[in-house]
Amino acid sequence: MYEFGTTPEQLAWVKVAASHHAQHNPNAMLKNVVTVEEVLASPMVSSPLHRLDCCVVSDGGGALIVTRPEIARSLKRPLVSVLGAGEAIKGQNAGEIDLMHSGAAIAGPIAFAEAGVTPADIKYASIYDSFTITVIMQLEDLGFCKKGEGGKFVADGNLISGVGKLPFNTDGGGLCSNHPSNRGGMTKVIEAVRQLRGEAHPALQVKNCDLALAQGTGGRLGSRHGSGTLIMERQ
Amino acid sequence: MSKIPSPSVTAETKNFWALANDGQLTVPQCRACGKFHWYPRANCPFCSSNQIELKPAKGTGTIYSYSVSRRGKDSSYTIAYVTLDEGVTMMTNIVGGDPSKLAIGQKVRVTMVESEDGQRVPMFEPT
Repeated sequence: MYEFGTTPEQLAWVKVAASHHAQHNPNAMLKNVVTVEEVLASPMVSSPLHRLDCCVVSDGGGALIVTRPEIARSLKRPLVSVLGAGEAIKGQNAGEIDLMHSGAAIAGPIAFAEAGVTPADIKYASIYDSFTITVIMQLEDLGFCKKGEGGKFVADGNLISGVGKLPFNTDGGGLCSNHPSNRGGMTKVIEAVRQLRGEAHPALQVKNCDLALAQGTGGRLGSRHGSGTLIMERQ
Repeated sequence: MSKIPSPSVTAETKNFWALANDGQLTVPQCRACGKFHWYPRANCPFCSSNQIELKPAKGTGTIYSYSVSRRGKDSSYTIAYVTLDEGVTMMTNIVGGDPSKLAIGQKVRVTMVESEDGQRVPMFEPT
């Protein structure tokens, strides 16, 4: 925010978009649609993050089945394949701190290169959302917009399915649905697979969703964390 | 403010913490490659040399980033990254002064704050 002029209102738009999606998820912890004003009016937890800039805290888990193509085809379900994956860790660099980038700046390009696609090709993105700022940083680092322009990118509903250019976290994400500690990446992959299979909520299903990204970040964004990027395709 | 939990003093860091108890903030500098690093440890994170010297820091720096956390009525604290004049940036707390007046780039000076078992810990206050 200091470097690029990203505003609290822009951060709030991430939560607003998540809440628009969560209203359709009967299992979401927070199902009420909120406004930018309501986010800004919620109590400050750790400046500049308000309570509604923060994810919920929940238990939870998930499972994925990864199998050979011939077995997958025999299961009579829509096929989703992994096109590319990237991983990275980022620490304090022995005192040369850089808070401007997350590990997604390293993991993302690895995944995109392996997949042979660009951010502009992605129809749906699951983005780890511990806090609203986490989403903005990762969107920038993954190349969905230039560094410093993430605030503008998410504003005015650009992450809302059916409204914006990049539908994200259509299950309501960590900000509204659930945030199982250390399993946040799992829920991100599951919702991306739902979108690719055409099994997301009908009100939020992205049309012709043939290419999706899931981005996870674990640890502490401001000190040391890991990052994983997964790009998946519907066959 | 209640005292913070005490740091774990290890074989690698006992000299650093002993000097902190004397009121002296030090920054590890590698004799082999000459670079300062943070946090204190046995081997240089840049060149792996174990020839590390704890250099007395000037004790002044600037706020790189900070956040005022409010988890309850009386438990407000300010976590920050402070870039020391020696060049390294360390995670710490800002104490003293009005947290609402803090700003990125602000000059701060080290102050040693006693933790639960008496070990003094370097924090910073506005100058």
